[in-house]
Amino acid sequence: MFSKEEIIIAYTLEKCKSCEMGRKRKFAEGDYLFSETTKCNSCEGTMQIEKIFGESIEK
Amino acid sequence: MVDFTNIDLDQLFGFSDDSNPLLMLIWILPIIIFIFYGQRIQLQVTSGEIKKAIKKLDAYRIEARTELIEHVKKNMNPKEDPTKKIDRFLEYFTIMPVDMDPHGIVDKVRHTVRAREDYSRNQVKSLSPETSELELSKVITLLEIATSLHMIYKIVNHMYLTAKKQNNYPLILPLQMILPFIMEEAEAITKAIPAFKSGQPIGDGIGPMVVGKMMLDTKKELLAFQTVSSETEFDGRKLILLKAEGPGSSVGRPGDAVEAIVAKNKPDIIIMVDAALKMEGEDSAITAQGFGAAIGGIGTERFQIEDIATKNNIPIFAIVIKQSVKEAITLMTKDIANQAETVRTQIHEMIKENTKSGQSILLIGVGNTIGVPQ
Repeated sequence: MFSKEEIIIAYTLEKCKSCEMGRKRKFAEGDYLFSETTKCNSCEGTMQIEKIFGESIEK
Repeated sequence: MVDFTNIDLDQLFGFSDDSNPLLMLIWILPIIIFIFYGQRIQLQVTSGEIKKAIKKLDAYRIEARTELIEHVKKNMNPKEDPTKKIDRFLEYFTIMPVDMDPHGIVDKVRHTVRAREDYSRNQVKSLSPETSELELSKVITLLEIATSLHMIYKIVNHMYLTAKKQNNYPLILPLQMILPFIMEEAEAITKAIPAFKSGQPIGDGIGPMVVGKMMLDTKKELLAFQTVSSETEFDGRKLILLKAEGPGSSVGRPGDAVEAIVAKNKPDIIIMVDAALKMEGEDSAITAQGFGAAIGGIGTERFQIEDIATKNNIPIFAIVIKQSVKEAITLMTKDIANQAETVRTQIHEMIKENTKSGQSILLIGVGNTIGVPQ
């Protein structure tokens, strides 16, 4: 009956180019797809942004 | 003295008598009122709903204008206050060419639209000439959003006020019928603002996202305005990749780029990957394959690609990712983003099924490439 307010939160999914380990974090200004970000925690490889997407939560 | 304890209701209202004048009045009076004033009553009821929608549209256009001015002030650092200039931009209009004689209409439309695009770009750049191309593309898109919402508000308000002024109920009917669709679109356009401000990929960017990843580590060439191409190999075939130049907000000029590619090296097939509007009842983010040029917009790019393909006898295949209007222009949803790998697999299957080793394929990622480099 009462429509809930929908809030979209942007996330960035990074993936290691060597060991393919994924890491999901909140989107940060300046994030672009396929850009190399940080070192991988498990294999010292380079993390690359694989996806940027929004997930909705209802308030 | 009247005895109120002994009133016979049947007798008072004449339920047992068909000719009672009081009962006749109760029935006939509303009928007479509705005959003479029915349309006006309906107009009043409908106007209440439309007024609420117009108030919402007004809020949307004010929000878009404020966001645009703030974004320009914050990111372009103009020397003067940009408000006056932006308010003038919002009133820009485009007069489409006469179509009484449709011969050559596409070239005329393309010329008019591109002239407007070039003029807007130069005007926005004049606010602060040092602005980067990426920032410029964002501001131009935000300006388009603000202009669209401004225009929608003005048109709906005009239709409403005209009907009210003329006290003409039938005049308000078409507006009442299309208003839910207009509101859906206006809401979607307003919700697109944060994604464009932050440079996040939108649902429409799924095509460029698929092709952009395939273009990584290849040599890119600027083939047309804001449109890049590169070459790679797949299973013994030459793959020519094409998309708008990211990560700025642009759809590029794929028509011009296809013309340049075909003139140099005729591909055996063309595959176009684009977002498509889903039908009501269809699930979001499902993919579908088909034939023909999958590209939206006003139709000039599609016309150009179809024309080149027909003249050179090149079949066009299409893969679309279904989504709603809102999903197409706001931050890409997880479901749509998750389809990127599936689409790449479908492209590879399509190539294997429709070409032989040694042949060449032109793969176009169609859509707005905001937040999607290559």
